[in-house]
Amino acid sequence: MAVIVEAVELKKTYMLGKVPVEALRGVNLKVEEGEFLSILGPSGSGKSTLLNLIGALDKPTGGKLYIEGVDTATLSDGQLADLRRKIGFVFQFFNLIPRLTALQNVELPMAIAGLSGIERRKRAEELLETVGLGDRKNHKPSELSGGQQQRVAIARALANNPRFLLMDEPTGNIDSKSAHEIIQLVKRLNIEQKVTVIMVTHDQKLAMEAVRTLHMLDGYIVKETLN
Amino acid sequence: MRLSDIFFYALGAIKLRKLRAGLTMLGVIIGIAAMVALLSITQGLQAAITSQLQRGLATDTLVVSAGGGFGGGNSRFSLLVNDTNIIDSIQNVTVSLAVIQRVGYIKCGEQAIRITIVGINFAAYKEIYSSTFMAEDGEIPVNPEDDVIVIGKRVNLPWNNETAFCRTGDHVEILWTNTTARPLKNETYTGRVVAVLREVGGFSIGGPSDSSVYIPLERAITFFGTDKCEMIIVKLKDDNKATIDGVSKAIKKAFGGEAAVTSSTALLNVLSDVFATVELFLAGIAAISLLVAGIGIMNIMIVSTMERIREIGILKALGMRSRTVLLIFLSEAIIIGILGAIIGVGAGYVLAQVAVRIFGGDMSFAGQGAAVRGAIIITPVLTPNVIIGAVVFGLLVSVVFGLYPAWKASKLRPVEALRYE
Repeated sequence: MAVIVEAVELKKTYMLGKVPVEALRGVNLKVEEGEFLSILGPSGSGKSTLLNLIGALDKPTGGKLYIEGVDTATLSDGQLADLRRKIGFVFQFFNLIPRLTALQNVELPMAIAGLSGIERRKRAEELLETVGLGDRKNHKPSELSGGQQQRVAIARALANNPRFLLMDEPTGNIDSKSAHEIIQLVKRLNIEQKVTVIMVTHDQKLAMEAVRTLHMLDGYIVKETLN
Repeated sequence: MRLSDIFFYALGAIKLRKLRAGLTMLGVIIGIAAMVALLSITQGLQAAITSQLQRGLATDTLVVSAGGGFGGGNSRFSLLVNDTNIIDSIQNVTVSLAVIQRVGYIKCGEQAIRITIVGINFAAYKEIYSSTFMAEDGEIPVNPEDDVIVIGKRVNLPWNNETAFCRTGDHVEILWTNTTARPLKNETYTGRVVAVLREVGGFSIGGPSDSSVYIPLERAITFFGTDKCEMIIVKLKDDNKATIDGVSKAIKKAFGGEAAVTSSTALLNVLSDVFATVELFLAGIAAISLLVAGIGIMNIMIVSTMERIREIGILKALGMRSRTVLLIFLSEAIIIGILGAIIGVGAGYVLAQVAVRIFGGDMSFAGQGAAVRGAIIITPVLTPNVIIGAVVFGLLVSVVFGLYPAWKASKLRPVEALRYE
């Protein structure tokens, strides 16, 4: 299996006012294509920082991070933006654009990538069917439940056929029944459509749903378990 | 991202805050409308005055007067009626004519009105001003008898209604006050009105005027007791610049630099320069209001950027480049600017029409010291230049003032923007 993400002694220090905070002190990891990986750790363990780096939202201050073999430190801001088009983000707070409908939200990453209106509409409708929201495509986020919003977010994350899905506490803000549905959906996508998933959470039970779990503490990966 | 998608994304964001966008746009509308209204009224006024002048002043004429140009008032030099002989001998001159005039009164029955009394050679005057020195009623005699009088239209009908002050066939008395005589003396001249001129409109310099009365030159010389004339009007062979310059020079030379020569073409040029300055000044005033509108755009766009930090973070996380974010926010400013400019042009034109209708009736000019008025009717002129200029200016203002907020938005770092509550 090809390695999609590889971190070597990855470090990130940022300034909190005048105090330097070492969020990552040397992380080594490899993510292979088709994997369902979870990163588990308490708040402050550095997992969100790691996620931002893998998502090309931020640059490391030390060590190397390769996404599909490319060292992200060498990329310009514009190239990082282009790289993000190949990554599907799913956030805890959904981060849908409130004034756009579900369909338009799913179309947005494809519009950014420059697809034509007809192409992206067709794909967006298919994706909403996949996540089970075909009948709610013209609803705005405010007219959808948390679970439904997160499914729109997953459909949006899949829009540009990403190399991997990056999920940050995907069930952290929805009820347990919907959470269960979401995780089943993610598992199905991983198994049926071979979507690589990297999920960050502090919920041990949720982390166990993944095939492999990395345990983080104080900026290090301290343990790795297979579930 | 495609430009059309950028445009529609920006439009969607504006639609969400209609009132706010509308008020911002109102600033642009008022600025552009003020500019368009002022310019179209000024241009209308210029067109009206120029056309009046062109009717009153033939372009192939020169006006020679005493006083040798700047500061020449001290000179003892004065033009004489006979000086036309000197001018007539200059090459390219068709005919020249001496004008003697005094401000005085015309009396008909019990009433008197103030007028300008002009002594001229009827035949020569008619030749020079063939289109304006024309009788509407009666006939202008070529070899006038002593006591004939030709009156301007506004002497015939001075009160803007059908009531005539005097008409063809009336015996009238004209008088002027000789201020050099001791004691002051009123000189009078009794005559018969033989013709009423067609309306000339506005005012004129040298040419026929609605508020003047005309008497034969020879009679004027005895009536005014002088053979010094106020000006000599010279008709040229053509209105080429070379002819005008050549004759002007020759006349100045003939009178030893003491005479002032004014060409109507030069006068029109000066007028057009004056109007250009006035336009620039008015446009400058309107530009200030546009500056205020621009600050309004900037203000609103900064607020909008602050409100949408999270949205910007999402867009960037979805792979949008900073440049595209900049274009989206700039588009929002441009849409407001262009739309405001287009509405502003329409509003400005309507405003100009309304203003002209309200104030137009009073926008008049007193003709040459006469009490009789000559009104100028202004039609606002909206040239393509003004329209294009206004829209370009609106665009420019929105780009200049929209650029900073858009740039600020584009520079947001995705991690921080996403974390923003």
